[in-house]
Amino acid sequence: MILNFLKPKGNKKQKVILLGSGALSIGQAGEFDYSGSQAVKALQEENLEVIVVNPNIASVQTNKDIDKKVYLYPVTPFWVKKVIEKEKPVGIISSFGGQTALNCVIELYKSGVLQKYGVEVLGTSVDSLEMSENRDLFAAKMKEINVPIPASKAVSTVKEALKVAEEIGYPVITRSAFALGGLGSGLAENKEKLEQLASAALMSVPQILIEKSLYGWKEIEYEVMRDRQGNCITICNMENFDPMGIHTGDSIVVAPCQTIDNIENNMLRDTAIKIVHNIGVIGECNVQFALSPYTKEFYVIEINARLSRSSALASKATGYPIAYIAAKVVSGFNLLELKNPVTQTTSAFYEPSLDYVTLKVPRWDLTKFTGVSKLLGTQMKSVGEVMAIGRNFCEITQKAIRMVNENDEGITVGRFKDATKKELEYEIANPTNLRLFAIYEVFKRGYSIDKIADLSKISRWFLAHIKHLADTENELVELIKKSKAKSVYDAFKNLGKDYIRNLKKLGFSDYQLVKFFLSIKEPNKKHTQKDIKKLSLEIRKLRKKLNIVPVVKQIDTTSAEYPTGSNYLYLSYDGTHNDIILTKKNSGIITLGSGSYRIGSSCEFDWCSVMTSKYFKTKRADSIIINCNPETVSTDFSTSNRLYFEELSFERVLDIVDMEKPKGVIACMGGQNPNNLIPSLNEAKVKILGHSAKTVDMAEDRNKFSALLDKMGIDQPEWISATSRKEIDEFINRVGYPVLIRPSFVLSGTLMNVAGDEKSLDYFLSLTKDISDDYPVVISKFILDAKEVECDGVAKNGEVIISLVSEHVENAGIHSGDATLVFPPEKLYVKTVNTIKDIVRKIARGLNLNGPFNIQFIAKDNDVKVIECNSRASRSFPFISKVSGKNLAEISCKVMNNEKISKIMIDESEIPFVGMKASMFSYQRLDGADPVTGVEMGSTGEVGCLGKDFNQAMILSLEATQIKKPVKGILVSSGRERDKIKFMEVVENLYKLNVPVYATTGTANYLRSRGYNVHLVNWTEDPKAIDVIKDGKVDFVVNIHKTFDIAERKENAIIRKAAIKCGCSLLTNMEKVIAYLKSLDEYDKLQDIECINL
Amino acid sequence: MIDNLKRKKAVLELSNGMKFEGKLIGYDGAVSGEMVFNTGMLGYSESMSDPSYIGQILVFSFCLIGNYGVPKLENDNFLTALGHESSSIKTQGIIVSEIFDESYHYGSMIPLEQWMIEQKVPGIAGIDTRYLVQTIRNTRNLFGWIVPEGCKKENTIRKFPFIENFKKDEYIDPSKFNLMPTVSTKERKVFGTGNKKVAVVDCGVKWNILRMLVDRGCQIELVPWDTDFSTVEADGWLISNGPGDPRNTGDLVERVKVLLKGNKPVLGICLGHQIISLASGAKIKKMPYGHRSHNQPVFIIPEQKAFMTSQNHSYTVDPSTITKDWSLWFENANDKGVEGIRHKTKPFMSVQFHPEASSGPNDTAWILSEFIEKL
Repeated sequence: MILNFLKPKGNKKQKVILLGSGALSIGQAGEFDYSGSQAVKALQEENLEVIVVNPNIASVQTNKDIDKKVYLYPVTPFWVKKVIEKEKPVGIISSFGGQTALNCVIELYKSGVLQKYGVEVLGTSVDSLEMSENRDLFAAKMKEINVPIPASKAVSTVKEALKVAEEIGYPVITRSAFALGGLGSGLAENKEKLEQLASAALMSVPQILIEKSLYGWKEIEYEVMRDRQGNCITICNMENFDPMGIHTGDSIVVAPCQTIDNIENNMLRDTAIKIVHNIGVIGECNVQFALSPYTKEFYVIEINARLSRSSALASKATGYPIAYIAAKVVSGFNLLELKNPVTQTTSAFYEPSLDYVTLKVPRWDLTKFTGVSKLLGTQMKSVGEVMAIGRNFCEITQKAIRMVNENDEGITVGRFKDATKKELEYEIANPTNLRLFAIYEVFKRGYSIDKIADLSKISRWFLAHIKHLADTENELVELIKKSKAKSVYDAFKNLGKDYIRNLKKLGFSDYQLVKFFLSIKEPNKKHTQKDIKKLSLEIRKLRKKLNIVPVVKQIDTTSAEYPTGSNYLYLSYDGTHNDIILTKKNSGIITLGSGSYRIGSSCEFDWCSVMTSKYFKTKRADSIIINCNPETVSTDFSTSNRLYFEELSFERVLDIVDMEKPKGVIACMGGQNPNNLIPSLNEAKVKILGHSAKTVDMAEDRNKFSALLDKMGIDQPEWISATSRKEIDEFINRVGYPVLIRPSFVLSGTLMNVAGDEKSLDYFLSLTKDISDDYPVVISKFILDAKEVECDGVAKNGEVIISLVSEHVENAGIHSGDATLVFPPEKLYVKTVNTIKDIVRKIARGLNLNGPFNIQFIAKDNDVKVIECNSRASRSFPFISKVSGKNLAEISCKVMNNEKISKIMIDESEIPFVGMKASMFSYQRLDGADPVTGVEMGSTGEVGCLGKDFNQAMILSLEATQIKKPVKGILVSSGRERDKIKFMEVVENLYKLNVPVYATTGTANYLRSRGYNVHLVNWTEDPKAIDVIKDGKVDFVVNIHKTFDIAERKENAIIRKAAIKCGCSLLTNMEKVIAYLKSLDEYDKLQDIECINL
Repeated sequence: MIDNLKRKKAVLELSNGMKFEGKLIGYDGAVSGEMVFNTGMLGYSESMSDPSYIGQILVFSFCLIGNYGVPKLENDNFLTALGHESSSIKTQGIIVSEIFDESYHYGSMIPLEQWMIEQKVPGIAGIDTRYLVQTIRNTRNLFGWIVPEGCKKENTIRKFPFIENFKKDEYIDPSKFNLMPTVSTKERKVFGTGNKKVAVVDCGVKWNILRMLVDRGCQIELVPWDTDFSTVEADGWLISNGPGDPRNTGDLVERVKVLLKGNKPVLGICLGHQIISLASGAKIKKMPYGHRSHNQPVFIIPEQKAFMTSQNHSYTVDPSTITKDWSLWFENANDKGVEGIRHKTKPFMSVQFHPEASSGPNDTAWILSEFIEKL
């Protein structure tokens, strides 16, 4: 039963605070919106008023709702205390907002705030949480209950090191606690190696840690749930494909475990339950083990007494809604009192049984970050993930590869086709994000499983499957070579029904097979994507004629032991029977989700997908979702009427369309990824709702769009698509530097760049493939010191229904995904806004927009130029919708549902507050990357905060993205002369902070000449700028680069990287610096917080 | 990984007329049996060697079977042969979606398929096991033939005594006959040392029950099912698990009634539970959906203390027939079925689930300890 103090008092519902996790960042991403929104639902059902504190405005949990209040404030003790003072809740919940929420609650408890206001921590007690978090307390507890943890001990001499290693047993790893860049860390298999490592490390640091090495051991996790009664279940176990040594967030993970036996499983399960009992967890807990591949020896690595990325994955892998049940449990329910929501008849005290297998593959966007190390290790680097479901390991491996990167057709993509033996072996032993492809390549070349197991420590069961795929490819090559068939179609047909079915069972896509056939049959001919797509449609027809089609299966938590009406579905070729039979035709609306989160596409597109699905659910259409991202709310089975946890590939969407025969497909709400499918779906005669394929093509094709703007007399920055260096030079001679370079094919990581002079132009062009007709480079005039403005809106049949204008704090040149966005706009002339709205109307007509859109502009003085138009929902949709009170996603749905709708007039200036969207960066995790904002997007998440005015919104949003007011000192390099002049506007505010100011030469001289006291630091000579960072004399760094010169950029990068490494707040854009310093004036006024009900 | 294309075809023919085509795995010969399934994701060697599965064709609902090979089995020593519940495979055959035909696990003696070949057990891979489970679930009394291409439907390769009762081409229906003579030990055997002596009535006992008793310091005497119990000296009795219909076990129920007149502790497990229930005067019925999984939730009623259990049965005690001296001990959290009963005054207890697990969760191992404490 629910705890007594949570029951309503008379008519009055009790309040509980649910803390969110804030902006998405590496290691703490969308999974917490999923957990949190399930929790909100579960708590509301129990008659509680939920107070959500979370600045992540693009999350579903911060949506307006009855019995819910939302505070878009930083999740820190300072602000949460204010919420407590204002709302007087009876309870607070820490376990649904990641580490951020957990730490916040522990601090509020330790400082006595919770006790003072009588706020109970629901779920696991703070004492228990501390035991799970504090290394020493945890170790002591494990010792007490006889659970092994890996031994480690600090030593300060080589002799001691050897003695400790003898006790622990080799191999050991050495770690030095204070060294930067992993100096002094290493693996010692024997005494000699340890002597070498320890003596080297102890020369630079006083102390090193000797730890038992578990490198290469199996890494296995259990998701455990325990109620107040002590009843305990393990919902799912998971096994890492990549053994110990790679962060589990960066590991490929299979669920359930595949290489352990029943005895090992129950040994670890028993231990997990024992730990959870003894720590006293109430709710969800994740337990991680290292298991020897040769014996039954194991160690517990860590536990997380909260919802986690793994629990979200386990929920999606099993169908068991862990967060929903955990929320009921923390509010007092016993598992026996709850029903399993999937079956609705059986008990929630249940451990799901699976009759399928799932694979999580992380998504890395490392190419977006110049200089970042691609090696995987104990620091997580991935920004998203996908999960593939199927009935054999080969099938899910290939599905997952396609899901995580839509341009990869499967494991045969040939990333290492031209690699040498040495390169391959190095990659396998020193893995990057591409290791799987290297393993595939060596198996194609005939390597043995044992050899690769030795190099990689990956369990041979996994390797055997990768090898099977490689063997299949090799066999297929021979068959095709021998085949006398003239066309791809015939060659395919000749393989025979059984053979084709077997290939499909192994996860080969039609596109993959056609591409493969062509590469063998016509190796010298070039085949465009379009050609291959066309041929794959022919193959599809043939397949269907042969009745080789996938079947649809339910995820029901019981492996069909009981009948179920589950709507959670996947497709597989490894089966003969459809679990569901669809009889109603033309009733469904399919919403395509966003796929893996990535730089540039994150939870904001999931928000749009969820809004869309829910809208159609209320319209009594069959609302259907296709998505493959386990972190999302859209893949919660209650979001839609049917959920296909599937690839967002052309082939798979067609498969589902064939089954569902829907009224229409919505591809414009999930970001660019589903939007890219529109042309092919349209050609395949699938009804697309919203913008027509023609509109999409015109908006996306640079030439067509540009011609349209010219025709309508709308200005745009000058640009060319150059196919030779000569053209580029001619263009630059005409328009002058700086220019923006956008190559169509990229060799290294650098994508877009701004060149300020010929030298940097040469450099950036050298990073791209030779410019040619096939690989043109788009060069456009880069306009300095201009404002960037966005307009989000919805149009119907070419007429704008609503349009809302917002502005960037930063001047043009910062990717719109990284820029700080203000809505309603603060500094735009009315005339500019009118001009923009006028242009928007013209473009809407010109493109015949029919659905959501986002148009970006550059404005200098009153001069407005169009940069681009996205004929789809944009990143800023949730932010603009919530601040304006006009739900752009819902309005878009009305248009797509062809409902009558009249124009919505809104006067932005009447909105009584200011919304600020700021970006969150994860550079702490991206060793080697230059943490500077620029034309290439680098942020991993965002927040949106509200204030009574610009300054308040600024303070909150920056604090929520971890830009903290300096307390130790500040280091400034202020860039160009004109930036320095601008900086003087706020210099008083800088000195009001009352902390030492350090500045590099130019800035220091500038400040001194105006009478300010400043410590001068140099780039290369003492006192060095980098030292004041490393020595902890500053905790805030302002670093503005002067020019687009590469050498200067590299110099500044050293400062910026050091700032991130040492945990300083870092700003690299002058407009943002000025806005921030100005806003600090208002800090004290912010003492009264307000819940602005959106 | 098996290369499906190169394998011989095999067909599963069901008594309801359905046919499933797949590829032959294991021994090349035909078998028939009662169709049953298990949804446990691990523990195939335990299940296949569990005597409760005698006469049955076992369908594994999980899609990947054989991943860790077959655990080592040395000299039929049950104490060390973890992963085995008897000295040989007891199922007639198995049906899987995919079999892994290598074994890389350090504890493996042999790949699963090799074990099947050695023990003359056929199987079929490449079957939509989810669909088959649904079919079995929805059909009462379903029987099947595994027929490899070119083989005749003949009950010749599996050599259990009760099979001789069936015609050559007849479906084996294990509940038709008393299976006790087939599965029970022929002679009395003593294992372990200790001052507490437990007599285990072998109705097809799983080795893990014996292991756990020995581990907990008992001396056990394993006795044939038809032993004259008055000739056995023991501090307590355990009526073991086993196959078939509990009502088709000869005079076993009558002889257990005599034990229940005494005061020595008695523990029943699975079939043993049903025998004790019958002996106590309760009635048995067949269930609409049997329990065949590692995730059956049971709880002790007054305390609401819940446990995850391993189960494999299609008969259950009718709760309305529990007699006045006995009380309901455990209930199933899903279907409210009887999972255990206990005598109100005497040290008699019996459970429908498997406290010895193997395979499955160990949550209820304490029941064996509690039983031993009472000795």
